[in-house]
Amino acid sequence: MVRAFLSSDWYRLAAIKPRLRGHVDIHRQTFRGKIWFIVQDHHSGKYHRITPAAQYMLALMNGHRTMQEIWEAACARFDDAPPTQSETIRLVSQLHSADLIAADRLPDLQEMGERHAKQERAAMVTRFRNPMAVRVPLFDPDRFLDATVGALRWLFTPFGFLLWLGLVGAGLVLTGLHWTALTDGFADQVLAAENLILMALAYPLVKAVHEAGHAYATKVWGGEVHEVGVMFLVFVPVPYVDASASAAFASKWRRAVVGGAGIMVELALATLGLIFWINAEPGLARAFAYNVMLIGGISTLLFNGNPLLRFDGYFVFADLLEIPNLGQRSNRYFFYLVQRYLFGMKDEASPVQRNSERGWLFFYAVAAFIYRMFISFTIALFVASKFFVIGVVLALWALGNSFVMPLLKGFRFLLAGPALRNHRGRALAVTGTFLFLLGAALFALPAPLTTVTYGVATPDTSTLVRAGTEGFVDRIAVEPGAEVAQGDPILHLSDPVLSNRIEVLERRLEAARMRLRAVLLIDQVQADVERERVKLIEGQLETLQGRIGDLVVRAPRDGAVVLPGGADLIGRLVRQGDVLGHLQTDAPARMRIAVRQDRVDLVRRNTRAVELRMLSGDGSPRAARLFGEVPQSQTVLPSAALATEGGGDVVLNPAGVTPLSTLDRVFLFDVVPDDGAPSTLVGERALVKFDHGLEPLAWRVYRAARQLFLRQFNV
Amino acid sequence: MSDLGIMDAAPRRVPRIRDYYEAPDRRDTTLDRWAADLNGAFVAQGARWRAWRLRPILREMERHAVAMAALDDAGLQAEAQAARIWLRRALRDQTLSVAAAGRAFALVREAADRVLGLRHYDVQALGAWAMMRGQIAEMRTGEGKTLCATLAVATTALSGRQVHVMTVNDYLAERDSAEMAPLYRFLGLSVATVLEGQDAETRQSAYGQDIVYGTNKEIAFDYLRDRAILRLKPGNLNRKLDRILPADRRAAGLRLQGLPVAIIDEADSVLIDEARTPLIISGANPQQGGLPDTTFRRAMAAARTLTEDVHFRRPRGIRRIEILPDGFEALDRMADADLDRPDTDPAFGIPVIREHLVYQALSALYLFELGDSYILRDGKVQIVDENTGRTMPDRTWSDGLHQMVELKEGLEPTAENETLSRMTYQRFFRRYACLGGMTGTAQDAAWELWSVYRLAVAKVPTNKRDIRRFARDRVFLTTEAKWQAIAERTRALHAAGAPVLIGTRSINASDAASARLSELGLPHQLLTAAQDADEAAIVAEAGQAGRITVATNMAGRGTDIKLSPDALAAGGLHVILSERHDSRRVDRQLEGRCGRQGEPGRVEAYLSLEDDLMQGPAARRVAGLAKLLARAFGPGAAGWCIRWRQKQMEAAHGRMRRDLIDQDRGMGEFLAFGGELE
Repeated sequence: MVRAFLSSDWYRLAAIKPRLRGHVDIHRQTFRGKIWFIVQDHHSGKYHRITPAAQYMLALMNGHRTMQEIWEAACARFDDAPPTQSETIRLVSQLHSADLIAADRLPDLQEMGERHAKQERAAMVTRFRNPMAVRVPLFDPDRFLDATVGALRWLFTPFGFLLWLGLVGAGLVLTGLHWTALTDGFADQVLAAENLILMALAYPLVKAVHEAGHAYATKVWGGEVHEVGVMFLVFVPVPYVDASASAAFASKWRRAVVGGAGIMVELALATLGLIFWINAEPGLARAFAYNVMLIGGISTLLFNGNPLLRFDGYFVFADLLEIPNLGQRSNRYFFYLVQRYLFGMKDEASPVQRNSERGWLFFYAVAAFIYRMFISFTIALFVASKFFVIGVVLALWALGNSFVMPLLKGFRFLLAGPALRNHRGRALAVTGTFLFLLGAALFALPAPLTTVTYGVATPDTSTLVRAGTEGFVDRIAVEPGAEVAQGDPILHLSDPVLSNRIEVLERRLEAARMRLRAVLLIDQVQADVERERVKLIEGQLETLQGRIGDLVVRAPRDGAVVLPGGADLIGRLVRQGDVLGHLQTDAPARMRIAVRQDRVDLVRRNTRAVELRMLSGDGSPRAARLFGEVPQSQTVLPSAALATEGGGDVVLNPAGVTPLSTLDRVFLFDVVPDDGAPSTLVGERALVKFDHGLEPLAWRVYRAARQLFLRQFNV
Repeated sequence: MSDLGIMDAAPRRVPRIRDYYEAPDRRDTTLDRWAADLNGAFVAQGARWRAWRLRPILREMERHAVAMAALDDAGLQAEAQAARIWLRRALRDQTLSVAAAGRAFALVREAADRVLGLRHYDVQALGAWAMMRGQIAEMRTGEGKTLCATLAVATTALSGRQVHVMTVNDYLAERDSAEMAPLYRFLGLSVATVLEGQDAETRQSAYGQDIVYGTNKEIAFDYLRDRAILRLKPGNLNRKLDRILPADRRAAGLRLQGLPVAIIDEADSVLIDEARTPLIISGANPQQGGLPDTTFRRAMAAARTLTEDVHFRRPRGIRRIEILPDGFEALDRMADADLDRPDTDPAFGIPVIREHLVYQALSALYLFELGDSYILRDGKVQIVDENTGRTMPDRTWSDGLHQMVELKEGLEPTAENETLSRMTYQRFFRRYACLGGMTGTAQDAAWELWSVYRLAVAKVPTNKRDIRRFARDRVFLTTEAKWQAIAERTRALHAAGAPVLIGTRSINASDAASARLSELGLPHQLLTAAQDADEAAIVAEAGQAGRITVATNMAGRGTDIKLSPDALAAGGLHVILSERHDSRRVDRQLEGRCGRQGEPGRVEAYLSLEDDLMQGPAARRVAGLAKLLARAFGPGAAGWCIRWRQKQMEAAHGRMRRDLIDQDRGMGEFLAFGGELE
């Protein structure tokens, strides 16, 4: 890249005598071994980072030297890489638009007014552009902090740090000790209605202490804090303070402490809450302590402490890495890489100032983007499940902010960006190829589509050994596992009442017959009645006598006897139809599976092949086929082995009617292996994989989205 | 309390005296610009309707015609004196009512009839009225634009506003002002002409007159010079105070009196074609003194040692040098080696300067060709304008390039000129309180004229019907075949006694054409765009029977080609376009050379696939396609490729102008620190 040393616009600046304004301080800092200067503007509360060369020129601006003199002096001083005129013009222009310098000229008042209006507008827009984080400044706490900072100064010493370390360490140990108590019924406790109220009370309090941490850390090392306000983070009011004064601190550790003070304070609070929770009796105060602990611990680690989001963790991370503006610069670096290597724009200037930054910048750009997308959509989806319209609007907004706007900008850059003028062909080709490949991968590249579910071996109904009648098990006729032929007795039942009832009936039959004989010749009508009665009793008697035969439970077919009850059966009362055991035959094993509702259509219509892996065996796949289905959705599982409790994947409804009630409706299918191998163990579990052939990813995403919307929003 | 007899007389409006009037710069937001772009598309369509809306002026003019005709000369002059009063009264916010303008037009027309012996046609009044309403009047060549302008110029001047009449070259400015001066003097108006080479005093007094003729370039440069002074003393009050100061304490003399009203001849070429490059005043500035000669020489010597494709390369399709990493390394080594030598050049040791200068040296060596980009005259490098093919004696390249070209040609490097002041034509013209113009070819540029200058186009009908005939384009594979055909055709036409005008794109092409005609023994006149009286005389003669004239499109502009009776009988002037220009408008200007005032004429275009338009890296694809088509279906089929290519060029130039405006706007914001813009 050849930079023009002289600029044709220089004439506009050459004779101007600029003067640094009074409300500006300059601080020296080191980033990755390179010296930078931080220009602090006390009027606007803004900070600007400049190079030593720029600082040199800035320092020469006293209202007596012309820009020409200043520039020449800078060239003499930095003769290795003197600032070019264009760079100097850019610097002066930036200083001017930041209102850091004044000139000996009458300023262009109209331009100043317009610039001011533009800045106000921009500030307004940024305030409301992200509806998930709207800031409302409230008051200036500086004097209050001045008055109180003395009392807290001891905290920001090595001793204070050790104290904090000890406290949080103790908290960690206690957490480990009480882990089960803490996590028991976590979801129930947290999301119960009364707890939500408690949490809503605890949250602003914890956050207020958090912000106080930032503010005091800033004050302790001489910074000023001039803004306290409320930020509506996903509509939840959260206090914030403007601790940007720490940017001027020379030590990166101090800057990091200011950034991390909030997290440190919250962790300490969480520990205190934990200690209280452990020692207190159950009650409101204890529940409150639990919430403080929850907010201080979990939300801090997930959100605030996460460097991938622009919260506290990010600033600490950037400070410790010594890469200021990490977020913006990593994005710039990413696009620089795209332009430089993909579009072949060799003249692009790299935003990298030190080689060691490269890896960080690249990693951060990619990781932060993915994480931000993920978080935005999760939040939007969460809100949407509660308030559909707001949630969808938020989701669209998030989509627009993080995806559509950058895409549109990218396309505008591609189609009309002046920088691309000589590279447009290549840029379009590269982007086109990328989009084509992406599209091909999504829409054309077939990827295997499968449904995997758990199955449980279920015996064939024809092999079930059922009690034919009610009775007490008297004795078992065969040894367990013995081979029996169809009709062989397996169990003998006894029913003492049965023989009595037969006897009673026989007597009543006798009596009935006599009555019949008595009236046979006298009263024809009465005789008919008696005859019917005899028939009725005869029928009843016959049924009862048949049941005597049923007292012997016989094998329904050939096979080995399996009686899960074993000898315990003896003396037990069984009812008619109870399954007492089954016969192991050489009929193929039958796996019963439960399929979730969103997959049932695929399984039913589009099953190319079925594969079975018995969990008891070596897990080698066996070809199988769909044998039958229960054509109605179920809310009760046939076996606990299919539920999550039993190692399956169907979630049970703890509040269900039966112990095996499910949360979602399921469909039951039977699968039999093709090799016809009999199952050895009833109730044995298997993984069943349905192969639905190949399908490009896009259709799957579409189907998943449709089902998500159906499930969440009924649309 | 009762209010009795309240007669709330409107306060007397006294015109606000503004010293040095300039319209404030428009600060458009992005939305404004989009709106203007969109609006422009509609405005561009309404040119005929707009001309129709001008017609009331004719009725008003006729109403006063009899009264004016009845006056004797002295009476007419007295009426002109009176007009200064009633016109000024009728003036509201830079516009005149139709009634007042019509009366003034009648007065001027009567005066022109008596003084010049020329009476304005109705269409000329329409054109003048369009210009006074801040529009561009599209009038066919030969409709008498010079005379037409007098109506607008005199009326505006009588209404108390100074008028700048802009033409494209000094010759036309001088000729027009001389021809029309008697009329203006008769009306009591003073006229002056600003020409190249006049001294400051003459200019200052010229700009004091009621009517100032001059080229757009001269006036714009004078304004820019004034701005350099005004920029340091902004504010109207400042200037008024300046006036009452004794002469020696005043700000250095301003030349103009401000930018009141401008009437632009050939408006499209001034407002659009020339607006592609900004105006720059530069001078050797000892204070900012550039680099010593030795540094330039050292860099040039270093550049000569670099080899193409090893140390640097020339990317295809772009006129640019790209120094490769090896090149940078080689330069570093040279600088290191220099350190050990006694005559070390300190500036060459600085990487930024070294690399910049070597880049310029490489550009001078490999991108700029003698005879093409520049010529040597009187031991000096003179830049050749890529558009007109004319040399520009007082232009220099910036950023050390000029010095490098001089070193390449073995000349002493001159002291580097530094920019002292700079502005775009777009900004300059937008600063006029009122702007009007006329041209033969505005319609093609209507959209841009609106979106940039807020100038609408009115298509004024011709006085007599246009009976020109257009032949189908003839397309040839090679230049050779094309010229063959042109020569044949010219010979035939010459034999038939018809006058022929062959239009070329550049002086070189004119020379080639001339050589060819000489071979065939055809007597002809060759015009080299000198733009002087001789040239005008030749062009004026081009309408004689059997006359053959070869000229670039720019040559002899503004001069009518009057046909002799014989020529008229032979079918009028035959215009032969030997090549298409970068813009359709320029072609149309050439086509407009024939068929003036309803005379017969014929336009023929002879094109080849080797024309300049189809050359160059940017045209490679289109040219390839054209060759393919020509091979398959004959050369005629490739004709549209040439038009397509022309459209591409128009778009590219449009984009350049747009960039310039954007850049100008960006600079305004960027450099706000330096006070007001020029």
